[in-house]
Amino acid sequence: MRRADGTRQSDPDARQSQSPGQSPDDPGPLPEGPDEEAGRALLPVASRRRAWAAVRGELARTPWRTAAALGLSAVAAALGLVAPWALGLLVDVVARERGLPAAGAGGSAEGAAALVPVLALLVGGALAAGVASGLAAAAVARAGARALAGLRTAVVDRVLRLPTSVLERTGTGDLLARVGDDVAVVTRAIAEVVPQVLASALTVVLTAAALTAVDWRVGVGGVICLPVYVGALRWYLPRSGPLYALQRTAQGARSQALLGALQGARTVRALRAEEARAADVEARSARARDLAITVLRLFTRFASAMNLAEAVGVVAVLGTGFWLVRGGTLTVGEVTTAVLLFLQLFGPLGVLLTSFDDVQSAGASLARLAGVAQMPAAAAPVAAPAPADASVRVDGVVHRYDGGPPVLHGVDLALAPGEHVAVVGASGAGKSTLAALVAGELAPAVGRVLLGGSEVGALDPEQRRRSVVLVSQEVHVFSGRLLDDVAMAAPPGLEGAALERAVTAALEAVGAAAWVRTLPDGAATRVGEGGVALTPEQAQQLALARLVLADPAVAVLDEATAEAGSTGAAALERAARAATAGRTTLVVAHRLTQARLADRVVVMAGGRVVEVGAHDDLVAAAGPYADLWRAWSGG
Amino acid sequence: MACPLLGLWALCEVLVPVVAGWTVDRAVLTGDVTALVTSVLAVAALFLVLSLSYRHGIRPLLAAQEHEGHALRVAVARRSLDPRGARHHRADGEVLSVASSDAERTADVLDAVALLVSAVVSLGAVAVTLLGLHVPLALAVLAGAPLVSLALRGLGPLVTRRASAQQEAVAATSALATDLVRGLRVLHGLGAAPAAAARYRRSSDAALAASLRSAAADGAQLGATTLLSGAFLAAAAGAAGFLALRGDLSVGELVVVVGLAQHLSQPVRLVGAAMARLAASRASAARVAALLAEEHVAPAGGLAPSGSPALHVQGLRTGRLTGLDLDVRPGELVALVAEDPADAADLLDVLAGRVPPGEVGRAVRLDGAAWADLDASAVREVVHVEPHATSLFEGTLATNLDVAPARPRTGGPTLAQALAAAGADEVVGLDPRGLDRPLLDRGAGLSGGQRQRLGLARALLADPPLLVLHEPTTAVDAVTEQTVARGLRALRHDAADPAAPRSTLVVTAGPALLAVADRVVLVSGGRAAGTGPHADLVLADHRYRAAVLG
Repeated sequence: MRRADGTRQSDPDARQSQSPGQSPDDPGPLPEGPDEEAGRALLPVASRRRAWAAVRGELARTPWRTAAALGLSAVAAALGLVAPWALGLLVDVVARERGLPAAGAGGSAEGAAALVPVLALLVGGALAAGVASGLAAAAVARAGARALAGLRTAVVDRVLRLPTSVLERTGTGDLLARVGDDVAVVTRAIAEVVPQVLASALTVVLTAAALTAVDWRVGVGGVICLPVYVGALRWYLPRSGPLYALQRTAQGARSQALLGALQGARTVRALRAEEARAADVEARSARARDLAITVLRLFTRFASAMNLAEAVGVVAVLGTGFWLVRGGTLTVGEVTTAVLLFLQLFGPLGVLLTSFDDVQSAGASLARLAGVAQMPAAAAPVAAPAPADASVRVDGVVHRYDGGPPVLHGVDLALAPGEHVAVVGASGAGKSTLAALVAGELAPAVGRVLLGGSEVGALDPEQRRRSVVLVSQEVHVFSGRLLDDVAMAAPPGLEGAALERAVTAALEAVGAAAWVRTLPDGAATRVGEGGVALTPEQAQQLALARLVLADPAVAVLDEATAEAGSTGAAALERAARAATAGRTTLVVAHRLTQARLADRVVVMAGGRVVEVGAHDDLVAAAGPYADLWRAWSGG
Repeated sequence: MACPLLGLWALCEVLVPVVAGWTVDRAVLTGDVTALVTSVLAVAALFLVLSLSYRHGIRPLLAAQEHEGHALRVAVARRSLDPRGARHHRADGEVLSVASSDAERTADVLDAVALLVSAVVSLGAVAVTLLGLHVPLALAVLAGAPLVSLALRGLGPLVTRRASAQQEAVAATSALATDLVRGLRVLHGLGAAPAAAARYRRSSDAALAASLRSAAADGAQLGATTLLSGAFLAAAAGAAGFLALRGDLSVGELVVVVGLAQHLSQPVRLVGAAMARLAASRASAARVAALLAEEHVAPAGGLAPSGSPALHVQGLRTGRLTGLDLDVRPGELVALVAEDPADAADLLDVLAGRVPPGEVGRAVRLDGAAWADLDASAVREVVHVEPHATSLFEGTLATNLDVAPARPRTGGPTLAQALAAAGADEVVGLDPRGLDRPLLDRGAGLSGGQRQRLGLARALLADPPLLVLHEPTTAVDAVTEQTVARGLRALRHDAADPAAPRSTLVVTAGPALLAVADRVVLVSGGRAAGTGPHADLVLADHRYRAAVLG
């Protein structure tokens, strides 16, 4: 029943060398400090009030379930007090039957029969406490799980619908931390910390009330230890908080160093940098180790302070009981009840005292989640008329990122329906920005982008999805079945066997069907993270298959053949041609073979269009494109 | 020292209810002030010993455990980074898990032993105390506590099954969320955000259903535990009450029996937990030991290479290579075009030391010395094989670029020259902090092209006598590829010191790089199928044209 370490009693299996509530395997968040995205705006963090409002909102969706969980918890905590009370009665019965002086008045020699009502109370109390605590634990866990599910869906839903311009500002690092780390912290808190803290708090309050009910002076004796607890907390918390933060940072840095050294083993080997990397891992691991030991020393001192508080409490309750029994106010059984109640208090008090850090970090994560969930939704665009045809017009477009210098200085470009145009230029020429503008991902600072005569930014999401698709520079294979990856692009309503047929046709169209059939489960094979690893070429073929399935009038390909080994690039170019056949296409080209096959080539430099024309004309014109082509073709 | 102290601590824990019962007997029942004072002193002494024994027992124990975990982690990291490599290739994730959780769990053995000691001491103390009070009652209580624990194990499999189903479902949901965010730009490009949100909601609902089922099982287990331990307590209290009525036990002894009966479930559970922990620790220790005992690819020792970058490959058969011939003379820039990229990968595995030198034998020579006779570790001072998927590390751009230990030759390229030749000066110029720009998450914020150019600049700065590059320009545009090709040629070949010639072997199909090479070798079917300058091969060889120009 006694504890000297808050983590131990509730679950000895969770006993760890770390601080309470911290898993040693948890790599923790990324190290803090100056980051390369430091200049970037972060997503909003909710105030404490608004974060709680978000939780209350989730709980209020099923008010009677929440009320039942709280009510059952209170009943269970109250029933936990029956045993000490009954045991006190038992002591009284024995003392009375044996004619001891400190027993209560009255009583007759009934022998063993006198035990029956007390035992009935003990057994009945155990039955009721068992049922109530089981129901309460289930109800609290279920209410928590529902609230958590509501919160995480709201957050992810909001994140998925963030406009691209916001993404450009924030980067994905902060988003990943929120849907990953923060959701994990809150999940753990709801599953482990909240039920324990709730049950412990109720038990502490009800036990204090029960002690007072035995006699108010015993109640006072019981709370004499409180100042010691408060003093211990006031000493411990300001010291432990920063140490835990340092420890998490150090553990994160240690994992990063290990991961970096292992994943980069080939590079490390080529550079003969083994010793430097190993020394880095060793230094960071030593730092994490030293912090863990410091945290532990601090915690054991806090544990000693808790022991002191417990000793003070036991002495106070025994002493008060002694004087009250001597004065005839209490029976020896009542004192026994008080002592047992007090001993029973150590567990819940320990849980409350050692949960502070967990509660604080869960609160911080909750505020970050609520901050995202409560971001205002983008205003619905004014419904523009549906595009009249598959033409594209870029009119005097200037673009700058967040008030920075312009990256496009007045670009004009028109694509006739079905025309294929390739954009060529060095890094930083503005090719990808132009692609994102045409796809409606970004809104131009000045000028207009028209699809079939309608402003692309004003199209509603479904109209835009049908009109234009951007195959972005970033290649991503969604984790799960390959079939589901491609199906991500399916128009709404396409489901079941029809969807599978459409996916198969799309894979066929980009020449991926052959290798997909050789996978262990064909199109149902799990790919992406945790599944079969696809080559960069295969991943890009999937991206093109998504384009075929989405079937837009206009396709924008941003370096869709990049990253593949050169030998694979030719096959990808064939796939890209097949996927864009019949669509108005703007392709940002890495390889000039793509440019040669386009109807027209646009050469960009420094945010301007410097040359436009058919491949043969440009080669003949002896401008910058002709230079490039000569180097490329070895001519 | 730690174990006896923790045993003492466990003993004190047992003694708390004993002292309380003793106080009731001696002081409260009698009203004797002297007895009360003695009791208070006893309580104070007990808590003092309890607190000190815990503090001074647990500190050295857990500190030793931290030191052991650290030592194992560092040993695993050093073994994985050993330049002589390991015969059995393991996935990074596997090595990481051995270096983190297995190292930690192996060190846990200390904790598990201490846990076992304190649980055994607790059980012993409870047994001795109870037996001293009343032998039949003691036997009944001591037999009953394990029976209650066993009975509660009955629900264990259900709870475990539901809990692991729930953990899996929650993990899947959280993995889906991060996966969707990583692919967010792709989703935006497709206008598929609503479809993705619907997919997430389905996954979250499934996780919720699993959580609800698991909550029911957890509740049942907690209820059963509360009920059974309450019933056990009632039985012990009833029996002790009956004995006290008969006069076999005093009132205080009744309190002691009840207190100990309540305490008993803890050490019983601890024994089970300690055994489970020992088993897990042994399994982890076996994995750590297997990794540390892994055989090296190359034996230690051998000839030191002369330092000349003359590479002579004749009749190399390994993997898919069926007798490859290839020469790179000092000062030469040679390009290799492979119809099947796997052929080139096999050659690079040999040059990077991933194939046991004994298997290579004399098919590869460095300045005349057979590969098998050379010291594999020293070969890296002459031959630098830059991987295609180059890795950046935490730190700043500057610390990432200047990584390799200096070579015993001065007059290599400056940082500015290397950056310019790789077209990476533009990457450095993107950020106002320039070379001091920190890289978070190992450069994840950089584009593929930016990473590729930084990796190339780093390899050029290392200035190895023979530099082997693997598809170094696949992620850069045609304009930049041309800059890189010219820069590479100028830096390593045109402007090189004739006294210390530099050779370069580039595996590529990029026309701009091929155009600046002295010679291009076409590899087809595992062997050289043609050689000559790029311009000649484009005109003369249709297979070459197909491989390079698509």
